Amino acid sequence: MPRRGTKGRKNIILLSAIFLISFVLMTVNVKRGKGPVFFETFAMWVVDPIQNMLTQSVNAVSDMFDHYFFLVNVARENEKLQIEIDRLKQEQNVLQEEIKSWERISKLISPLEYTERSSLVATIVAYDATQWSKMVFIDKGTKDGVQENFPVVTHAGVIGHVIQAGRNSSKVLLITDSRSAVDSLFKESRISGVVVGTGRDSCDMKYVPITAEVKVGDQVLSSGLGGIFPKGMMVGTVSKVVRKKQGLFQTISVSPSADLSRLEEVLVLLSPESG
Amino acid sequence: MIFLIVSLFLLFLFAVQTTFLKALAIAGITPDLILILALYCGINLKENRGIGMGFTLGLIQDCLSGGLLGVNSFAKGLVGFIFSTLKDKIIVEGLIPISFFLVVASFLDGVIYYLVTSTLLKGEWAGGVLPFLPLYAAYNALAGLVLFFFLDWGRRWIHRKFPNDIFRV
Repeated sequence: MPRRGTKGRKNIILLSAIFLISFVLMTVNVKRGKGPVFFETFAMWVVDPIQNMLTQSVNAVSDMFDHYFFLVNVARENEKLQIEIDRLKQEQNVLQEEIKSWERISKLISPLEYTERSSLVATIVAYDATQWSKMVFIDKGTKDGVQENFPVVTHAGVIGHVIQAGRNSSKVLLITDSRSAVDSLFKESRISGVVVGTGRDSCDMKYVPITAEVKVGDQVLSSGLGGIFPKGMMVGTVSKVVRKKQGLFQTISVSPSADLSRLEEVLVLLSPESG
Repeated sequence: MIFLIVSLFLLFLFAVQTTFLKALAIAGITPDLILILALYCGINLKENRGIGMGFTLGLIQDCLSGGLLGVNSFAKGLVGFIFSTLKDKIIVEGLIPISFFLVVASFLDGVIYYLVTSTLLKGEWAGGVLPFLPLYAAYNALAGLVLFFFLDWGRRWIHRKFPNDIFRV
């Protein structure tokens, strides 16, 4: 019996410790904002090479399958071609991949040519370790000039901002995360509101007056207020409008303009002084 | 040696969780391998080791997430605690009990996340978790059975190669 009592006490102490440490961490996190705690930086540093390796392996396997099927077709059509021609074709494939990659990158950069901010192309290497938060890891960190609160975009529009910059990689909070808020306005009517994440694949635009004329398909741009996103970046398109009889504001759903489920390369907008 | 094997396995598991598991998403939901492992440790580690392991797994998961630091360490620590305490009192073998525990642990994990974030973030959080909990639980139960099978195999292998008193036999 005394042993059971000791074990029970030990369990209560352990449970209390878990409760206490967790809530200290949460409180520190809420008070300090999104700044990294030292072991977050450490964990990113340890896992980063494995994530990079796995992502590259998956891409390599995927490329191999693509090229394999392509080459099967070529082989059927050109059974009697010499080995040298095959080698040249392989080389051509590699070069075509390079061209495609450069096309994607130039597509990324072109809408931003008018801005004076310099930018950095980054690759998505990993996703959030939990279900409920919308965050991605990019392969650029402080050594590349990335800092917290730098906006991250694609050719289609805003995707999020850097919340933690490690040395070799950074965390980007997507605009669909429930902690994200982008001060925005409608392209045509210039009425402003705040685009907040829902935690799923879409966003809501809040604080749009009930009297404002908003219809499905209206485009939403960043307003430049808030100090993170430059003015005029595409945020999304209105997908649903609900006007309640009572209340001051409309309920507006916004679909992000960038496809956040299929991100590959993104552009980090550096601060003017970084460039 | 066991420490090294476990560390490498954890590193691999976290890398998998944050990389290509996304390809298996159903309606944006993927299995939470960390939760499954926390439950496994709660059941299969001797004495109270499952509690510490659950907490540590949750803490690493927090570090690799954009959410509130401490939520997962609390949730996974609690899962480790509950199953570490109950393992000697209830049947913890077989497909049905394990599936049931995985469903319970998933709901517990989601509800803790919901309660903590909606309380501490004062309404910033939109409540997108609750509608997806049944799918999350079902997916974890399914993936958990497979992962439990491999973890059991690994546990037996470690026992054979490096006899120890860490795992329940």
